[in-house]
Amino acid sequence: MSDEARDRILARVRAASRRAAESEVDAALAALGRGPAPRPLHGDPRVTLLARLLRNQAAVDAVTDRTAAVRAIGEFLGARHGSRKLVAGQDPRLAALPWRDAGLLPRFGEVEPGDLAAVSYARLAIGETGSVVLTSGRDNPGRNNLLPEDHIVLVNGEDVVAGLDDLWPALQARLGAEQRPRSLQLISGPSSTADIALEMVFGAHGPRALQVVLVARDAPDCLAAARSLPG
Amino acid sequence: MEQHSAEFLANADEALAGRERAQLREAMGLFAPALHSAAANAYGDFDALREHLHAVRRHTLDHLDVYLDRYLEAATENGNSVHFAETPDEMNRTVEAICRQHGARRIIKGKSMVTEESALNDHLTGAGFAVRETDLGEYIIQEAGETPSHIVGPALHKTKDEIRELFLARHDLGERSLESAGEMVGEARQVLREEFLGGEVGIIGANALVAETGYSLLVTNEGNGDLCANLPPVLIVCTTLERLLPRMSDAADLLRLLARSATGQPVTCYTSFYSGPRRPGDADGPVETHIVLLDNRRTEILASDYSDMLQCIRCGACLNHCPIYVAAGGHAYGWVYPGPVGSVLTPLLTSLEESHLLPNACTACGRCAEVCPANIPLPDLLRDLRQEEREQALSPVGWRRGLAFHARLLRHPWLYHRLTGLAARMLALAARGRGVLSRVPFAAGFLSERDLPAPTGASFMARYRGPHGDER
Repeated sequence: MSDEARDRILARVRAASRRAAESEVDAALAALGRGPAPRPLHGDPRVTLLARLLRNQAAVDAVTDRTAAVRAIGEFLGARHGSRKLVAGQDPRLAALPWRDAGLLPRFGEVEPGDLAAVSYARLAIGETGSVVLTSGRDNPGRNNLLPEDHIVLVNGEDVVAGLDDLWPALQARLGAEQRPRSLQLISGPSSTADIALEMVFGAHGPRALQVVLVARDAPDCLAAARSLPG
Repeated sequence: MEQHSAEFLANADEALAGRERAQLREAMGLFAPALHSAAANAYGDFDALREHLHAVRRHTLDHLDVYLDRYLEAATENGNSVHFAETPDEMNRTVEAICRQHGARRIIKGKSMVTEESALNDHLTGAGFAVRETDLGEYIIQEAGETPSHIVGPALHKTKDEIRELFLARHDLGERSLESAGEMVGEARQVLREEFLGGEVGIIGANALVAETGYSLLVTNEGNGDLCANLPPVLIVCTTLERLLPRMSDAADLLRLLARSATGQPVTCYTSFYSGPRRPGDADGPVETHIVLLDNRRTEILASDYSDMLQCIRCGACLNHCPIYVAAGGHAYGWVYPGPVGSVLTPLLTSLEESHLLPNACTACGRCAEVCPANIPLPDLLRDLRQEEREQALSPVGWRRGLAFHARLLRHPWLYHRLTGLAARMLALAARGRGVLSRVPFAAGFLSERDLPAPTGASFMARYRGPHGDER
């Protein structure tokens, strides 16, 4: 059944297509050039990233080093849940953080139902859309982004790219050109819905809160600039 | 999905009579265009982006043979099983067979218009499976036993009170107030959490398929589609051929257009690319992934004069901007896709005979074409379908005779001026100096809610020509 359907559909596609040579097709596509990117909120993509996240109701912290990063996470967790527990994937960057400095007790592995918070280390972030980018794998199980009540994501300043079209080239540069992780997730805020009478509600099926911690020497300046942007 | 497009006029009458729901639609008709234009204006050169993606997608459709081959190769290399289905029923049976093979019973679904097209839920439920819609809007209408009224917000026709009553009746959670939208969302979250954790097969749609890498793109704000794609051991992506894009960078351009056109957001909360089953060493993810490509006449559309319709990215902007959609609501259209997109797609995917009223549900205002991110000439396609309707003698004989008469009149200016001059004088006489007319032959429907200003007696042309013209 399926093979016949496949053959018939492919035959109809061929009949309706121009039947051009692949090289010709590639040249024609290249000749179309690129679409215009949006006007950036700020010249520094890290500032744009934080500004977008703030507008989308994410909690944002900007820290200069790893000790300050775990402290910011500790404060967030304390304020949200009065808890010191969280789940982290097997990302070596997470294992290397000085968790004890903030009195935090991470469990390394997968989020289980009932876990309040998970922490991930972003592979990249995109200024244009205010997104942190996570790839699935042993270092960051996909469910860790989705199942906890709150999701905490660390991102290094040098991993912030300007635009959506920088995503794939930057990812290939970091992972190797042949790698296609099972999932790439761009997360731009806590889960939300307006399905009930167009009223915006945060905390739909995914995490109710998203904390993004930007780690860079001048991160506090970036956050100050993001907060001072109009809108 | 069962079709009721032939009852458009009766459905629309009924919708217009329901005051509370009409107010919801009116609010959306004001709110959504404001968000859309703010997002488009903030972008910079949004129109150039529309033109660019239109050109890329025209190119993709023109060379769909090449891109489909590339996609199939990449998707297979990624570890997916790719299935083809010519008809909606064939897609349903393919999905059923996969579920049976795994001895699965509990199926969780993300929002997918393609599976609405095939009425997959009815099929699977009939075959003994438990299917749970997880998008909040889809969940609400599934519980209410209704169909989507909007392609982005399927339950936007329901008032908050209606949803409250529905949840109180359907969720056995004891006494509670459930006043705010926040409380209702929280309750649905709690109820659906169990479903997510127990799901044995996940089914999602795709906003795009990337030929270069074999990734499928999924955008949501709720995160429900991602839970369906990540938790169950088996994932099925139900989609169609025209979702294909050549490169990852084209997906970036699509994302830029899609979220702004749908909800005015620069991006949705969750934007995900899925390549296939879990990789060696991965901690989680489905162990088996299937992609089902439904044709359902799309290859016929590809070869027809309506192939631009395959550029639609399902953002819903044409619905939000359409005066007929806002007035009559999505259910009036009687099938899966309402509004301008539905008035073109429904005749093409089902039959013009069954749905020939839909291309007439148009004021020719042109707003849909102004906002369509894919630059689809919707008013032109609607006009072409009306032309076909007339050629196939599907419209009422009175309409056709009236149009034929009108066409003859327009081809003879002399006769036109004579008759319109005569009509103007008669209407002026009939008004008896009152300045307005409330009853005119052949215009009872038009004048049921408004008056016609009475002509002063002489037509513009007559005055323009002065007392020596051939009219006076």
